[in-house]
Amino acid sequence: MQGVDTGGTRGRLLFDRGTAWFLLAPAAVLVVIFLVGPFYYMTWTAFTDLSFANPDQHGAFIGFDNFRRLMREDDIFWSSFGRTLHFVVASVGLEFVLGFALALLIHRSVRSTRVVLTLLLIPMMLAPVAVGLLWKLLLQGDFGMVTHYLRSVGLLARDAAIFSDPSLVMPAIVAIDVWQWTPFVTLVVLAGLMSLPREPFEAATMDGAGPWRQFVDVLLPLMRPIIALVLLLRGIDAFKEFDKVFILTGGGPGTVSELLSIYAYRVNFKNWDIGYGAAVAFMVYLVVVILCSIFYKAVYWKPSGERVAA
Amino acid sequence: MTPGTAWRRIAWAVLAVAVVIAVTPYVWLLLTSFKTRVDILSPEPTWRFAPTWANYPAVFIGKEYLPLLWNSLLIAGFSTLLSLAIGAPAAYVFARERFPGREDLFFFFLTTRMAPPISIAVPLFLFFTATGMIDTLHAVIIAHTSFNLSLVVWMMRGFFADIPREIDEAAQMDGRSRLGAFLGVVLPLAAPGLAATAVLCFILSWNEFLYAFLLAAFEGRPLTVGIPGLVTPHGTLWGQVAAVAVVATLPIVVFAMLVQRHLVRGLTFGAVKA
Repeated sequence: MQGVDTGGTRGRLLFDRGTAWFLLAPAAVLVVIFLVGPFYYMTWTAFTDLSFANPDQHGAFIGFDNFRRLMREDDIFWSSFGRTLHFVVASVGLEFVLGFALALLIHRSVRSTRVVLTLLLIPMMLAPVAVGLLWKLLLQGDFGMVTHYLRSVGLLARDAAIFSDPSLVMPAIVAIDVWQWTPFVTLVVLAGLMSLPREPFEAATMDGAGPWRQFVDVLLPLMRPIIALVLLLRGIDAFKEFDKVFILTGGGPGTVSELLSIYAYRVNFKNWDIGYGAAVAFMVYLVVVILCSIFYKAVYWKPSGERVAA
Repeated sequence: MTPGTAWRRIAWAVLAVAVVIAVTPYVWLLLTSFKTRVDILSPEPTWRFAPTWANYPAVFIGKEYLPLLWNSLLIAGFSTLLSLAIGAPAAYVFARERFPGREDLFFFFLTTRMAPPISIAVPLFLFFTATGMIDTLHAVIIAHTSFNLSLVVWMMRGFFADIPREIDEAAQMDGRSRLGAFLGVVLPLAAPGLAATAVLCFILSWNEFLYAFLLAAFEGRPLTVGIPGLVTPHGTLWGQVAAVAVVATLPIVVFAMLVQRHLVRGLTFGAVKA
């Protein structure tokens, strides 16, 4: 414990240890009890046979059996893993391209961005559950508004119903995600574009670089941190996608739209196969933590804690 | 960099299309909430119709959805207050104090925010069942507080870092304690940031589904958990679904527009300042 510090001279600690801990402790306690605790419990149960559906399985330690089963025998897990990756790449990819293009367009041609952004913002502020229900309404087979117009321009067969057709479900879910989150990309990229320095562009113009060269050689490199940020934040979120799909299809028809989170939900809360479910959940967690540390390395500077993107 | 008029027209046309695509589905939801069953089920989309108010009282009073609105308010309100009260002081320490492992601890807070709810839902579910708190507002408030906490820490650290250190030092020279300097001088200066963070926490808690669905499926359920219950395989009353969905989303949309300026910063964990 430090003595009374009257100064506040530069370089000196502004806190004594006691005050710092006093301010940090509540946050640490909450996180330990409700996030670290559950995480350890989950990791532990992943090594047991705990199941609430089978009274014989009280949670005996079974080593890596759950993970072995996951790796070698569980085709449904791997197909939902692959589906989730497809979903992430397709939706985040589209969102990125469309959102970036839209941001460039707004940046170059709209002087006061406020109104446009306010309107574009609507989809991403809606509760994901509401987004799911909204699109369920719009894509109803017999009276959906969007279904009607898709059919009248010939993009959808007259007898096709999107949510019962296995080949249309995932594209529809990707499209809905793109509808909801493209504005996010636009918003962040636009903020990045507005903070870019002018000099590199002026220098490039002096050197006779055309718009395309400027875009590729000046704008993209300058935007690198923002691009990494957007892709990773959206990637992590898309990997965890649950709400919309749960409402729209519940993973069906069959398991055609069963993303990893939905599968983890089914194993845990439908089959009550808690031990195995913990192993599945652990894998989801692992992928997210990996993405997360890439995010941190790519966007934040570690030693100084200084922000690269500003 | 001055675009020609033709280019300008194309740009505006593309933007107009984008805005229409973004807004129309939500407008359709608003319209549906004022439609009768016949208008909703019409195979030709009805854009002009005789509006009815009946869907709102039918679901909020007739089906007793009003308490769900109250639950949503309580959950979002209290979890926001709690995460600010607990997170802001921690953020202040992260912004001002240097201690070993600070960045690791800070990163750890980020991972807690990113953690997929489904992976810690089971232990939380068991914990709240064991303590008898399952299906209460408390359970959901605590769960939401723990995931919003890291957002507060990340956002407020940025806002505190924007305030020059000299201000704390001056306050301490004036004879305030460190705690006094934080509460009496720094916190008021960070008030706009605090407000923006609060709104974002409120929105995220209000919109959250999975924790609320697993931890409070009946008595303590908020609106997000209540809406899907109105959808049945046969004979869904879409007017009523739309009415609840409008009440569950309109305040948030308005709210979000008010803090639009800070939204980017919040949603990117402080990495981008707009």
